[in-house]
This record gives sequence, structure tokens and C-alpha cells, in this order.
Amino acid sequence: MDRFDAVIVGGGSAGLAALMELSRLGIQAVLLESGKPIGSKSVSGGILYSKNYPNGRVYNVEDIYPDFLDEAPVERRITRYYLNALSGSKVYTIDLTEAHEYRTNFAYSVLMARLNKWFAERAEEEAAKLGGGIIEGVHVKDIVWIDDGSGSSSGSSSNSGSSSGSSNSIIVTDELEEFGAKAIIAADGVNSEIALISNARGKLEPEALYQGVKCIVRVPEDIIDERFDLDDGEGVAHLFAGDISRGHNGGGFLYTNRDTLSVGLVYHLDSLLKSPIEPYNMLNEFLTIPVITNYIVDEVAVPKELDRTLPKEEQLRIRFGLSRLLKEYEGLRYTYYSKHARLDAIRQGLYSSEEEIKARLEEVRGKLEKEYGVTFANNYVEVEYACKLVPDGKRAMMDKPYKNNILFIGDAAGKGIFLGTRIEGINIGIDDAARAARAVARAREMSNFSEDYMGRYYAQLVDESPYTEDIRRIDFEYMKIFVRACKSIPLEPFPLFLRLAFMLIQKTIVQELASSIARMMDQSTLLKIIESNDAYVKIPMEVAERVGREVKPIAEIRPLSIDERIGRLKIREDEVPHIRIKDPKSRFIKAMVHLCPTKCYIMEASEEVSKEGAGAKARLKAVVSNVILQHEGCIECGTCSRETEWRHTRGEKGIVYEYG
Amino acid sequence: MNHDKDVINAAVMVKLEPDLSEGNVSYNPDGTLNRSQTKNILGPHSAIACKAAMYAKVCYDAWVSVCSMGPPTAEIALRDAMGLCCADELHLYSDRIFAGADTLATAETIKHGIRKMGRSIDIVFSGHRAVDGETGQTGPQTAWKLGFNFIGNVIDYSIDLESRMVKARRKIDLPGLYTVIEDVESPLPALIALDPSYRDNYRRVSERLRYARLMKEASRRAKDYKSYLRVWSAKDLGVDVRYVGLAGSPTIVYKVEKIPKAKASRRAKVVDPSNVEALREVGNLIFNIAFGER
Repeated sequence: MDRFDAVIVGGGSAGLAALMELSRLGIQAVLLESGKPIGSKSVSGGILYSKNYPNGRVYNVEDIYPDFLDEAPVERRITRYYLNALSGSKVYTIDLTEAHEYRTNFAYSVLMARLNKWFAERAEEEAAKLGGGIIEGVHVKDIVWIDDGSGSSSGSSSNSGSSSGSSNSIIVTDELEEFGAKAIIAADGVNSEIALISNARGKLEPEALYQGVKCIVRVPEDIIDERFDLDDGEGVAHLFAGDISRGHNGGGFLYTNRDTLSVGLVYHLDSLLKSPIEPYNMLNEFLTIPVITNYIVDEVAVPKELDRTLPKEEQLRIRFGLSRLLKEYEGLRYTYYSKHARLDAIRQGLYSSEEEIKARLEEVRGKLEKEYGVTFANNYVEVEYACKLVPDGKRAMMDKPYKNNILFIGDAAGKGIFLGTRIEGINIGIDDAARAARAVARAREMSNFSEDYMGRYYAQLVDESPYTEDIRRIDFEYMKIFVRACKSIPLEPFPLFLRLAFMLIQKTIVQELASSIARMMDQSTLLKIIESNDAYVKIPMEVAERVGREVKPIAEIRPLSIDERIGRLKIREDEVPHIRIKDPKSRFIKAMVHLCPTKCYIMEASEEVSKEGAGAKARLKAVVSNVILQHEGCIECGTCSRETEWRHTRGEKGIVYEYG
Repeated sequence: MNHDKDVINAAVMVKLEPDLSEGNVSYNPDGTLNRSQTKNILGPHSAIACKAAMYAKVCYDAWVSVCSMGPPTAEIALRDAMGLCCADELHLYSDRIFAGADTLATAETIKHGIRKMGRSIDIVFSGHRAVDGETGQTGPQTAWKLGFNFIGNVIDYSIDLESRMVKARRKIDLPGLYTVIEDVESPLPALIALDPSYRDNYRRVSERLRYARLMKEASRRAKDYKSYLRVWSAKDLGVDVRYVGLAGSPTIVYKVEKIPKAKASRRAKVVDPSNVEALREVGNLIFNIAFGER
């Protein structure tokens, strides 16, 4: 049987960083990822931060990958950060760039499926030097611990110097022969199966989770630059709060990528469960708000309806000719409206000058109009729809991020900093990864991979991380900057009592006072205020209505239906279902009919059941409806995992994200 | 010649074939293949043979040599094969004398080539057949000429280095009846012809890692394939010119015919889906065919 010092389960940004770090520390490590290619199941919002703290260090992405800043396929460097209060077509924008820059080295918008492929290349190269590497398309389904009789699985007596029974583990997968692992790093994400298999924690509570839905909208690079007033390579992040949630707690976001926009919504899952609503419908409402529409709108070719009375051959000829020409048109357009693509095309000798590209573009456009009757209209181009559960660190973080010989990192350990407008996750997973790698290195040195030694040492390293402190406690420095940014809100239109309250908050002395009071307050009491419906919905609406500017839509768009969205996703169906409903009649499962982002849950036609009334002659008629699950189309977000037997798909199966 | 007990020397025979995948084929007006217009690639069955050789490299650390008989352009096939099996050597048997060879004459050339590989070959991999010849005889005939055991339609195999035996699983389709899976065992040397359904299946972590590493090395070597390539003439191989090329080919193709399409004997009737009676009739018909008396 093969046996390895370290096995990493999950090839997301955290797992890959662990592989890279372990390899650099001289440990032969193997990473298993169920998706193929690697990165195909990764989704993020997504902004990747690099941070610095005055006391205590964090491990940043550029520490793990030294050539990150020069080589990594990141999208845009986020240099501006805004919070938009919305009410109808009214918007009030608050500049939060200072809060965004707080303890930040840099931040990039990223598309995780792509970036993880680059991380994987680097990590695999490093791992191969020691005989380790990455294995794609393998799903870990079980871990077995063999007690070798030398010690108990945990407890104080096992600190004998040699590895205790609990560290003698065998990994069971769907695809490979069993193999041994001395240390296991669980990086299998928010829906960690390893956490459940090992009993390290139970399923995360809805209160500790957010559901995020996102779509990637394609807009040519130069148009993004112009629309958001950006210099080359620069990017902007917009957050949205107000009347976009139908009263749920959460908000929206729009990040600029190189030639796409990441647009989405994030809501507290418990808030959604209280009054379930279809996430794709909410997304569509969001996309059609004037301010969003104006950001995502683009000119789109609209082919003429094909004349069905024509002979079959003629119809085919038109269809082929049109699709070829449309493809050329699109390629040309994205080339022409991108500085880099334009220069590349000229450098490669495809065109001699920019004018030539433009001339060709216009020629093709003319041909489309004249020969095929194509018209051009305003709409938007959505290229990928995605959904992900996000662990809310303050409620989801594991107290003990270890069990037996397993160390939990990133989403699997419930990590993430979410405090109002502060949103960080990827960087924390990377920091965890570096710490876990160090714990494994130390454990190997002492040849003790036990929970008592390696696990505790890892927990100690995690405790030293400034991120841990930020997850546990509200950072008042950040809050102060946030409040200062809100000073820009003009107060005249507000009723006197609100004005007074605002003015008080805006006074520096009062700020200090408020933050000292806040410091004295119980953390959870404070969170109730920060994450209240007032903060998410009512106050932003009030601000937008009273002082917001009116935004007129420059065009109308037609958002995709959920069926169109699913149709565009690449999903490798598995004949074996990976989710099983436990109770088809439960309230939770019924909520899934609305909350599943790809409509996998369907209410079955109600059946009428007759029941004998206890002691009564009258027969009670009850309508009992069952919920059934069609796992085809599942994108493995885990929204339904709480009351189902939920597993990731087997190796190579399931969703394949291209952008992520 | 080295023959350590646990060393496996493998050879793969591949063929340059027209790319018959969709969109790449060009036909003459008379319906025959336009060879000059159609791109040539490593044949798909040859590619499967390469994958099987890669398996030997991954699992048994085999030394692998790939050979092909064909025009100078056939080095393209060898390059592609290199990218699949990370070969240690490439051999191209190219001579005007070889032209017009049938399967038997080809087998004769390859026999000489394999014997001149500088190592005593334990196992030869070949594809099931070529896409432009379709008779599937070159493999068996080469085995016969080499005096190797022949195992055809192989879907899985393993080698016991101790006893120097190869265990192979064969898939035998009996048309109209059923499919038989047969496990056979043969001493080395042997020639294995892979069934088109062969898939490499690496079940161990160490194999997967080794495979990934070798595939990287393979693409590196494929870029530099010329430095692994040796081209042999008839003289280099020392063949008897009476047994190779057109002269050595007993097969005479006297006519190529298109197979006429059989006339459809089916009759179709359109049924209105809203007509329950008509649908019931369809249901009955299906039921009778499936479960009723014949």
C-alpha cells in the first residue's frame, strides 16, 4: 500500500497553498481533488487580499507563490471600493476605499477556476521534486483509523513521542486503491465531508452560513475601463445594500474583472430560510436595477428569426454561415475593444494596424446586417452562473480546527472575515494553509502526528494569526474608518432626530466614545446591530431615498431564465445521486424548492391522505406534499446539505466552472 | 543484450493514418478518400497502443520503443506517439521499396525492425486495426513472424516480473449473441493488440503521480522528438527485398466497392399524440414486440 507523509483533500486555493508550502518545507505531499481539471469546482466572489498587521504576521499569497505579482492570471487590481445605498432607481454612493486599504498590501479581483489552475501548476512543480503531486478526479469518501495498539486515539497518554494510533490513517476513495497518510490536511471547503467523517464538527448551522449567487457578465475590456473610469489594469469594487433583498439580510456586489464583471448577491442563509425565495429571481431583480443595468449593458447581435418555409438545405446554409460570421464578429469585437488584445493581434501579424481591425469589424458587421438581417440591440452577455455557501467566520470557525491527524483549513475550518463591508476569505485560507504546513513539518520532525501534538501545535499557530483575532472580535479601527467614510452623507434632508444621531456619530470624540462603549458591549449584542435588518435594508434605503441621485436606465436588458443558465453550465452528470433527502416533508426541504439555485427540488403533486380522527367519526383530510430531488443540474453549493445525506460528486463528475 | 529479470522492454507499432474525425476529411468526386487533402495523424488505434505502453512504463518501469513503417512524413505519427507514451526511442522504417506493402509485407518489415532495436523485446503493443485498412492483420502476422504469442482484443493486462508472464483480459464480442470476457495468461515475449475499448486505469496514487510526471516528460520529449528518432532504410534493416513492399505482398485488391445501402423495409405512420386510442394501439404494439409471442 502507498503511504505518504501528508495528504491534502481538496484543490482549492487553500489546499493548493498547503501543497506548495509542504513541498517547500521538504515534505512529500499528495493533493486529491475531485474536480477535473483542478479549479473546476472553485467559486469565489471574488477579491483576493494581501494584508499586513503591525503585530503578528500573516502568510500572504505572494509569500506562497513568489512570482504571484508578475505571473498570476489575476483580473484587476482593486483600487477603489464603494458602498451603494439603493432605493428604487435612487443611489447614494459612499467611498470606502480607505476602509478597503486598511492593512492591505494589495487586492485583486480574481476568477477562482482560472487562478487555481495557475496555483496548481506552481504547486505541482514544487511537489514533484519530492515525489508528490496533484491527483485530479478523485473523491475521498472515507478515512479509516487503525489503532496499532501503541496508544489511544487521543488523550494525554499518547504523547509518547512516536505516532499514536490515531495518526495511522487510511484514505478511501471512489477511484483509487486505499492508501496511507500520516497527516491529513482537510481543505474540502465549506461542505467539508472530512469534518463529518471525522466528527470534528457537525454540519454548519444556517446562522453561520451565507448563500452567494453570482453571474459573470462579459463586457469588453476598454468599455469597462471607460464605464468605471479606470486606468489600465485597475479595478473597482461596488457593494450594494437597500431594497435589493426583499427584506432579507444581505447585499449585492459588482467587481470588475479584466473583460468580465462579477455580479452577485450574498444573503444570510437563516434569513433566506425564514422566507424562502428563488436566488436566481433575486439575481434577476438585481440585474435590472438601473444602476446595475447601466454597468452590465452591452451591444448584442440579434439574429433574425429563420424562415422555416425555406428548403432544409437553405436553412442549414444560413445557420452555418451566420454562426461562423457571428463568431468572427464577436472575436473581432473583443479584440478591437481591448488594448492588449489589439496589440497582441498586431504583434502576431494577424492585422497590420488598429484601423485594419476596425475596418474588418465594420465589414463583418455590415455583412451580418445586410446578408443575414442581424440587428444590434442593448442587452447583456451572461457567461456563467454560480452559487456557493460561504462560512461566516464569527459563527462558523471551528474551536478546534483539528481531529486525530487531520488539520482543517480555510472554508473547511469555517474561516472568513465578514463584517459589514469587510469581506475576506481566500487570504485566510492561504494563511491557514501555511500554518498547517508548518505544523505537519514539525510533527514529522518529531514523528508525532497525533492530535495532542500536531493538532494542538496547529491550533496554537492559528491562534497566533491576526486573522483569528479579527474573526473573533470586531476590529474597531476598521469600524471607525467605516463611520468616518459615512461622514460624507449630507444631513439636511433627514428628520431632526436622525440628523442628531448622525452628527453625534460623526464627531470624532463621540466616535471614540462610541467605540469604547461598543468595546464594552457583548460581541453578539453588537453583531445584532451591525447585522440587523435596519443596517442591511432600512438605513440604506432611507439614505438613498433622501440624498441619493436618480439613475436613469440607459437600456433595458433581459436577464436569463434559470433554465437558460443551467443550459449554459457544463455539468458531467453522474448516474449515482450524491444527495439523498432524509425527510421529503420537512419544512427545510420544502424551503429548498425555492432556495436551490438550480431548481433541483420540486414539489410533487399533492396527494390526499385520509386519516382517522382520534376518537372522532369524522375523517380528517390532509394534503401532504412530497418534495423530490432531481440531482441533474446540481452545482454542489451545499445549500440543502443540512437535512440531506450530502456528498460531493464522484471524481470528474458534476459541475465544471470555467470562470469560478 | 541486457536481460535483467525485472526489466521489461516494450515496443509499440503505430501507423500514420488519415484523420477521419469530423470536418477533417476530404473526398474525391468519386467518393474515395482524397489523401493529399486529408490531414494525417497518429491513428486512433495506434494511440490506444501507446497508452498501453505508457501503462507498462508507469507500472513496470518499462523501456519503450515506438516504430512505424511509412513515408518520411510518418514521423508525425511517431512524434504524437512520443507524447502519449514517453518513448525512449523512435524508429521509422522508410524506403521506396516498402511502398505498396500489404499486411504480411508490413509485418516482415516490422519484424526486422523490432529485432534490430538493440534490446530483446519482451512485449509488443499494437492497435486493433488501422482506420484506412481495417483488416487488423498486421498485429497477428507480426507476432507470428516474430514467434511471439499473440493476444488480441485486450482491455486490461498486467505483467508478473517474477515469472515473466503476462496476464491479459480479452473482450470478445459475439455479434448477435453476447460479449465474453476472457482472462488469459501467456509467457513473454508476447504481442498484445488492444481492443478499442481499452482504457488505462491507474488505481494507485503512486501510479497516478508517476503517470503525471511521465506525461510531462513525454510532452517535453515530443517537442524534441527528432533527437530520439532513427530512420531505417531497407538496407539498414537488412530485409530480403522479395518479402517486403509490393513484391512481398500476396494480397491483390482487385476491386473496391461501396456497400450499397440496404433498402429500408420499415413503414412509418404518424400518430396524433392527443388521440388516446391511437396511442393505446402504439402501446399494444410495443408490448407485443417486447413481451408477446413472436
